Amino acid sequence: MKKTPIAIAGTVAVLITGCASGPDEATTRQIAEKMVQSSFTAPEPRLLKRLEQDRAQQICSKIGDAKLTQEEAAEVVKLARASFKYPASGKLVGNWKVGEKLAHDGAGDRIQRGRLEKRKENGGLCQNCHALAPGEVNVGNVGPALTAYGTQRGNSEPIAKLTYERIYNGWAYAPCSNMPRLGATGHLTPEQITHLVAYLIDPESPINKK
Amino acid sequence: MAEPMRIRATLQGDVADVRILMMHPMETGQRKDSKGQLVPQHFIKNVVVTHNGKVVLDAQWSQAVSRNPFLGVRVKGAKAGDKIGVTWEDNKGDKRTDEATVTAAS
Amino acid sequence: MTRRRFHFIAAACFSVAMAAAHAQSNDPLGVGRQMLEQDNPGDLWIDKGKELFHQKRGPKNASLEQCDFGMGPGKLEGASVRLPRYFADTDKVEDLESRLVTCMVNLQGYKREDVVKRAISPAGSSGSDIEALALYITSRSNGMKMNVSLNHPKEQEMYKAGEYLFFRRSGQTDFGCVTCHGDANKRIRLQDLIHMTSKEGVQGVVSTWPAYRGAHFVVRTMQWRLYDCFWQMRLPELTYLSDASIALTTYLHYQGNGAVTRVPGFKR
Repeated sequence: MKKTPIAIAGTVAVLITGCASGPDEATTRQIAEKMVQSSFTAPEPRLLKRLEQDRAQQICSKIGDAKLTQEEAAEVVKLARASFKYPASGKLVGNWKVGEKLAHDGAGDRIQRGRLEKRKENGGLCQNCHALAPGEVNVGNVGPALTAYGTQRGNSEPIAKLTYERIYNGWAYAPCSNMPRLGATGHLTPEQITHLVAYLIDPESPINKK
Repeated sequence: MAEPMRIRATLQGDVADVRILMMHPMETGQRKDSKGQLVPQHFIKNVVVTHNGKVVLDAQWSQAVSRNPFLGVRVKGAKAGDKIGVTWEDNKGDKRTDEATVTAAS
Repeated sequence: MTRRRFHFIAAACFSVAMAAAHAQSNDPLGVGRQMLEQDNPGDLWIDKGKELFHQKRGPKNASLEQCDFGMGPGKLEGASVRLPRYFADTDKVEDLESRLVTCMVNLQGYKREDVVKRAISPAGSSGSDIEALALYITSRSNGMKMNVSLNHPKEQEMYKAGEYLFFRRSGQTDFGCVTCHGDANKRIRLQDLIHMTSKEGVQGVVSTWPAYRGAHFVVRTMQWRLYDCFWQMRLPELTYLSDASIALTTYLHYQGNGAVTRVPGFKR
C-alpha cells in the first residue's frame, strides 16, 4: 500500500481517530464506497457521476490528521497542471463588472426533490468563502480575504495567468486545499473565470477600491 | 385545527413574567406557493390574556406578526398559583384557549 | 372593559425585550440566543409528538408504546442517546428515525414508502409525524449524555464508514464534510460553521438535533440536515435512512459522546 505517515496533532484535534476496533482501511473503503453507490439518487444517471472521485480527490480525502506525502502532493500538482484549459480567445482578463456579479452568486446546479437547479450559468460561489470588496459584511472566511487583491499584486500578465490558474485549478499551487477546482471540474467555464480574474486584478474593480 | 400553546408564567417579585408560544401559519396573503398561487390570508386577529379571569391584555394583531408567534407579557400584582389564560382568534374564526399557573421563580 | 386594562399594561405588552434584564444588555445576540433557548417554537412539537406517540394510528390501529428503541418496549429515557445502534430484530444498525419507521411499519401497519415519503415536511407546513415523534423521543433524554457504543461488528463498520465518508471529497466543488467543518471559527457568508473535528464542536451538533429551523418554521431532524448538506455540495440526493446517512450519524454521535442532550435546538 502507499506510504502514508500518520501524524496525530496533539493540540487541536482531540477526536478519536481509528481507536475503535473494526474493519481495516481497505475494507472500510470497500464498504463505504458501496454505500455511496446505494445511498443517493439523481434525476439523471449522469448526475450520479458527481459522486465518483477522480484520482486527485481520492488522494485528497485524507482521514483525520493523515498527512499528504511528498509523492502524493507532487502527483496532485502534476494532475492539476495537466488540467489547465484557457479561453479560445487567449484573453485571460475579462470584464470585472460581469465578474463582480459572478463572484457574489452562490446559486446554481444543486439537486433537490428530483430536479436540477439549472440556470444559464453557475454562480462563482466566491462570496460564500471569501471577503471581497471592502465594506461587504455578508462574506465568508473559509478562504483568505481577497480584498485589495489587485492592489497588492498588480495586474501584469503573469499575475493574470497565475490568478486564472488558481481559480481554474488551485491544486496546482496548493494541492488538496479547500479551494474547489472550479474550472477543472467544469463548474465554471474558462470565459467565466476570465471575468473573475478581471474582478480581482482590475484597478477599477471595487475589490481594489477603498 | 387550532394547535395548543405553551405558556410559562414565572413570578418575579409581584410580576408574572409570561412567555407564550403559539403555533399558527400567520399567512399574510401576499406569499405565493410553489405553483405560483397566492396563499390566502390566515392570521391571528386577536389575543386576550387574562389574570384570574380578568382581562389584562387585549391585542389586535395583523398579518405583520410572523409565523409561530411568540408573545411576552409581564403582569403586575401576581401571586404564585394565580391563573393566566390566553385566547387567540384568527381571521377564519378559529379559536384556541390555554391556561397556565403562575409559579414561583426557582 | 378591555380598553382601560389595555392602556394600563400597554407599556409592558410585547415586552420581549424585558428578558434583557436577565442577560447582558451589551450583547443583544446573546440575549436573543438565550431567549430562544428558553422559548423555542420547536417546543410546541414536543407536545405534538407525545400525542402522536400514544395515539392509536395506522391500519393496525396501534400506538407506538410498544416500540423498542433499544432499552425495551416503550422505554424512552436514555434511548436516543444510545442511537444509532444494532438491532437484532432487523439485523441492522438503526438511527432514531430508522427505528421509528420500523415501528410505524411493524406495529402500526403503515407502508414503508408512505412513511418515508412524508418524513421530511415542506417548509412552512405543520410538520410531519416523524419530525414531531423524533423530537419527542429525543426530548425524553434531555439532560442525558450521548452514549453510543460500538460493540457489534456492524456498529463498528458503520462508524468507520461514516468517518471515511466525512472526509471523502467529490463533485465539482471538491467538497467533503471536512471542507466546511474541519476548522475553527469559520463561516459561509454569515452562517457560522461548526468545527466538527473538535470535541466541543461535534458535541454541540449531536446534542441539538432535532431542531426548530427558523427559516422553515418546522422541526428538522439529523436525516434532513445531512440531506441538506449534500444538496449544498452540489451532490446527488441522500436517500432517507440510507446506509451513508446512518454511517455518518454513527460517526458523529460516537465522536459526540458525552454531549448533554438539549432539544429542540434552534437553527437559523
